[in-house]
Amino acid sequence: MITFEAVTKRYPGGTVAVDRLSLEVPTGEITVFVGPSGCGKTTSLRMINRMIDPTEGRVLIDGRDVREIDPPTLRRGIGYVIQHGGLFPHRRIVDNIATVPYLLGWDKKKARGRARELMERVGLDGELADRYPFQLSGGQQQRVGVARALAADPPVLLMDEPFSAVDPVVRASLQDELLRLQAELRKTIVFVTHDIDEAIKLGDRVAVLRVGGHLAQHATPPELLAAPADDFVRAFLGRDRGIRLLSFLPARDLLLRRDLIVPEGGRAPEGADWVVVVDEERRPIGWRAAWNGHLTGFGTYRPEHDSLRAALDAALLSPCGAAIAVDDEGRAEGVVTRDVLDVALVRAAADAYSEGGHTGEEAAREAG
Amino acid sequence: MNWLIEFFGDPARWSGPYGIPVRLAEHLEFSLLALALAALIAVPLGLLIGHTGRGAFAVVIAANAARALPTLGLLVLVMLLAGLGTLPVLVPLVALAVPPILVNTYEGIRGVDPDLRDAAYGMGLRSHQVLGRVQVPVALPLILLGLRLAAIQVVATATVAAYVGLGGLGRFIIDGLATKDFPSTIGGAVLVVLLALAVQLGFTLIQRLAVSRGVSRRVKGR
Amino acid sequence: MSSSEPLIRWSWIGRNWPMIWDLLVDNAIMALLPALFGLILALPIGLACARWRFLYQPTFGVMNVVYSLPSLAVFIVLIPITGLAERATVIIPLTFYALAVLIPAVVDGLTSVPDHVRQAADAMGFRPLRRLIQVELPIAVPVVLAGLRVATVSSISLVSVGALIGRGGLGGLFITGWQLRFPTPIIVGIVLVVLLAVVADGLLVLAQRLLTPWARARSAG
Repeated sequence: MITFEAVTKRYPGGTVAVDRLSLEVPTGEITVFVGPSGCGKTTSLRMINRMIDPTEGRVLIDGRDVREIDPPTLRRGIGYVIQHGGLFPHRRIVDNIATVPYLLGWDKKKARGRARELMERVGLDGELADRYPFQLSGGQQQRVGVARALAADPPVLLMDEPFSAVDPVVRASLQDELLRLQAELRKTIVFVTHDIDEAIKLGDRVAVLRVGGHLAQHATPPELLAAPADDFVRAFLGRDRGIRLLSFLPARDLLLRRDLIVPEGGRAPEGADWVVVVDEERRPIGWRAAWNGHLTGFGTYRPEHDSLRAALDAALLSPCGAAIAVDDEGRAEGVVTRDVLDVALVRAAADAYSEGGHTGEEAAREAG
Repeated sequence: MNWLIEFFGDPARWSGPYGIPVRLAEHLEFSLLALALAALIAVPLGLLIGHTGRGAFAVVIAANAARALPTLGLLVLVMLLAGLGTLPVLVPLVALAVPPILVNTYEGIRGVDPDLRDAAYGMGLRSHQVLGRVQVPVALPLILLGLRLAAIQVVATATVAAYVGLGGLGRFIIDGLATKDFPSTIGGAVLVVLLALAVQLGFTLIQRLAVSRGVSRRVKGR
Repeated sequence: MSSSEPLIRWSWIGRNWPMIWDLLVDNAIMALLPALFGLILALPIGLACARWRFLYQPTFGVMNVVYSLPSLAVFIVLIPITGLAERATVIIPLTFYALAVLIPAVVDGLTSVPDHVRQAADAMGFRPLRRLIQVELPIAVPVVLAGLRVATVSSISLVSVGALIGRGGLGGLFITGWQLRFPTPIIVGIVLVVLLAVVADGLLVLAQRLLTPWARARSAG
């Protein structure tokens, strides 16, 4: 657990980068520091591994003031990933990853073995091990950076905008990789970003910081979306908070109707205006109207993995407001009709309001 | 052209205390000594100033001074004041070789991407480790460039130093001019040119071997 | 050398001033011409190398080789062609040395022009020649002038080596001092060479200030 105790960073000349920051970063979770430029998020991060020392207050790791530990020793026990990787251009990938193990005196063979193991873990092709950084793409370099940070198996990982310099497609896959890794490794991660969507996607807990280094709100993503602490946080979160909140609710429990799924040329059940036509493998081909037999487009979601938001999205892509539920192979399992979806959405909203402590008045104000 | 044939063809030139091999050895000896001394002074100094960032003004002054000071003038002055002998000659030789090494070593270290420094410190490397394991390998091309420029300077100055009594290939030129021995003059000049080219070749090889391929990017791209 | 000999005998300077002045002027001419010729030649060559990248490596290679040759040796080699104690014998090699500095300077200066500036100029309808003269070269000036400063200062001091073949500007004072075994001419020579270099450098800095007022504004802001 990492604790910030009234930490302040003041620079000569008067600038206050961090202002009496107090919060706890729980062990084994990803905590994201997010905020606009100048909010002190990177400064705060760098006070954990003593790249910067606070002017006032203390930073504690598992109860121990970091100031008591000599910086290089401290840092060898903390993983550090930065925006452009900071890979050593003159060393091969495998040696780059093994940097801290070498520092700690590991046997070369053992260190290299560990490096290759980690390459696999972060999704890098083993044949890249003997290449040099300049031969890798931006996304690959970032993965190397993560592997390098994990090499000595530190309990804490500090990540400073690690995915900001790559394109959105690569960024999304890197984010997914991180979540997958974290599910396996359960490190204590402090992640800095300026992108609120990245914060909500990755964080178990999110700390929103204001310019001048003040903590505006520290909560889980659903709490943040449902009940922003003030106008700044609300504005920073941006639009579509309600819809984004739906991403946190599972679609697993939605009631499915199986009778609306028919094979090609099959007959629709009594009273049904629309049916889903599937092929021999039960994969959806399209929605078929009862009155003219034309096929139209459709949307799908997976009950096991996806959220209510995905179900809503699937419903919006159909001509009749119903979502098609599919399994991992894309085979239709059933249909969630509009009425079932409506009930689920209303219940989600009610839960959010009651959890977030929204009063009826505020809700009315927001709606109107 | 005939002079060249006359010079190189004369077997007397190839033997004895004033023969080509001896003069060549003298020239190399002085050059290497001066270069080594200059490197011994300038490389650590350049690394220190580059790594800590303090004292950069000294580098600028050194660079400008070296360019403006006339080599012949310095040689003659030092020899006049200090008396003859080979040790005094080393002073201007080394003094003129220090600035290129100093400037380029400093620039090399300064030129290392600050992100790289940050990552290195962030991983827990100590100051001297950051310098030795990260900054120097990446700065190596520039450091070697500085040494190469210094070598050019030293070989050239040693040639001119023949005027004030130093041995080496410059003697063929100087003595030749004095005695109107034109084959000697031209032959000496050609020898000096060949030596300079050989030194350059040597440095190119060293650069190839010493600089990591990740830094020079000479590996086949992806 | 007797210890009672003072380092500077001012009377000698007074008596020989006309000669000293002539040498100074000669030195200046023999240094400034190579710098000028070097600049004039470096511009088209550097332009070609910046435009057609494949030219850069071989050109640079040749320049490196030339630069590495000790000046005295090159003077000697030229004598059969240009004659002993002639200005040309000194000016030609010095021009090559200046080129070795100026061609990279021109190339670096041109490549320092940000790509988006170039493209904006094209998009606004600049033709290549006009873009070069009005956009790229002005932006390249600081880098080129830095190279010119190096080339000029180096030339001024290199000229003195020519004294060994009879044409060395202020270098002649070094020969005189050595032959007469007294330090005054040598010291005068060194001081004047350095002074000449400082003045030339200063004038070029001034020229740069005048040519690129925008550079100063940016650093002040």
